[in-house]
Amino acid sequence: MQPPQQYIARLEDKTVHNEKFVQYKFEFTNPHSMDFIAGQYVSLKVAENGTRRSYSICSTPGIKHGFETVVDLEPAGIGCQFLERLKFGDEVSLLAPLGQFVIDTQLQEDEIILVATGSGISPFMSMILDLLQEKQDTRPISLYWGMRHVEHLFWQDEFELLSENFANFSFHPVLSRAPEEWPLCRGRVTDCLSVHQLSESPKVGYYLCGSAPMIVDVSQVLSQKGVQAEHIHHEKFY
Amino acid sequence: MTDDTQQKKTTDFTVTKREDGAIVETKQIGKYKVEVIRDKCISAASCVAIAPNVFQLDEEGIAIVISQSGDDDDTKLLAAQSCPTAAIIVTDTETGEQVWPV
Repeated sequence: MQPPQQYIARLEDKTVHNEKFVQYKFEFTNPHSMDFIAGQYVSLKVAENGTRRSYSICSTPGIKHGFETVVDLEPAGIGCQFLERLKFGDEVSLLAPLGQFVIDTQLQEDEIILVATGSGISPFMSMILDLLQEKQDTRPISLYWGMRHVEHLFWQDEFELLSENFANFSFHPVLSRAPEEWPLCRGRVTDCLSVHQLSESPKVGYYLCGSAPMIVDVSQVLSQKGVQAEHIHHEKFY
Repeated sequence: MTDDTQQKKTTDFTVTKREDGAIVETKQIGKYKVEVIRDKCISAASCVAIAPNVFQLDEEGIAIVISQSGDDDDTKLLAAQSCPTAAIIVTDTETGEQVWPV
C-alpha cells in the first residue's frame, strides 16, 4: 500500500442525491495525483485546531487526479458543516490514502458479498467499479444495501446498469421502513441475508461497511453459519 | 496495553520495561507522549500508516505503542488527529497538558 501523504484538493463538483446524502468531487492540486486501493479513505482536516474526519472514497482507483466521496449530512457534525460551507474552487487539506478495508488478494476468495448500510456504500462503489470494470473480475459479487427510507436511496440506476452489463453482479437494496408497494427485501440487511440462500463455499469473502450495530449483527449471523472470521472484513462507521 | 511503562527518565533517554520483562532504552526525540485507548480503537490503522515507528497493530488488530521516539512530534500528533475515533491521546510531557484530543 502506498504510504499516506498530505494533499491539497479543490472542490470541483457536488451532487445532492437527496436531503440526506451529498456526493463531493475533489481535484488534487498538490500533489496532482494519488494512487490508492478501492476501499481506502481520506482524512480531511475540517477545523483549524487539527480536527479531522474520515471519508471513504467512492470513485474508482483508475481516476488518480481526484476523488469522490458520499457524505451523510444527518449527523450534522463538524465534518458535515465544514463540507456544506465549501464553495466550488475552495481548497481542502487531507491525508491519504488510508485504511486497510480493501478486497483481500491473499485469501483467494471465490465469491464476494458486500453488505452496507447508509453511506457505508461509498467504498463499495469504488470496489465494484474497480472489480468489474478495471479488473474484469468474474467472481460472483453481490451487494446488499440497507437503508431506512426509499427516498434516501441513490445510485440505484448505476447499480442496476452494472447488474445488466455484468452477469456476475447482483444488487439487493433493503429497506427497514419500506412502503407497502416495495417489491424487494424489507427489514434489516441481516433479514435479507437470512432469506437469501448464501453460498456454502468456505471461501466466500464478506465485506461489511456501515453502522457498528449492523457489523456486529451481521458478523454474528455469519459466524453462526460457520463463516470463518478471516473471511469477515469490516469497516465500522462511527 | 502498551509496552511503555516508564521506569526512569533522563534528559535524553527513557528506560522502559516491556511486558515480556525486557528493558528497553529509547532516545526521546520529542516531548509528546502518545497513548492508545484500546476500547476506542477500530483497527482503521491510520496511525500505523502515518507513524509506523510509533504504532503497530497487535494480534487483535488493536493499535499499540511500540516506541515513543520512533517518529517526531508532528508525525505523532498527525497520527492521533487522523484516528477516526480519537483513540489516541497526546500529552506534552513538559507541561503535562493533553495536546490531543482538544
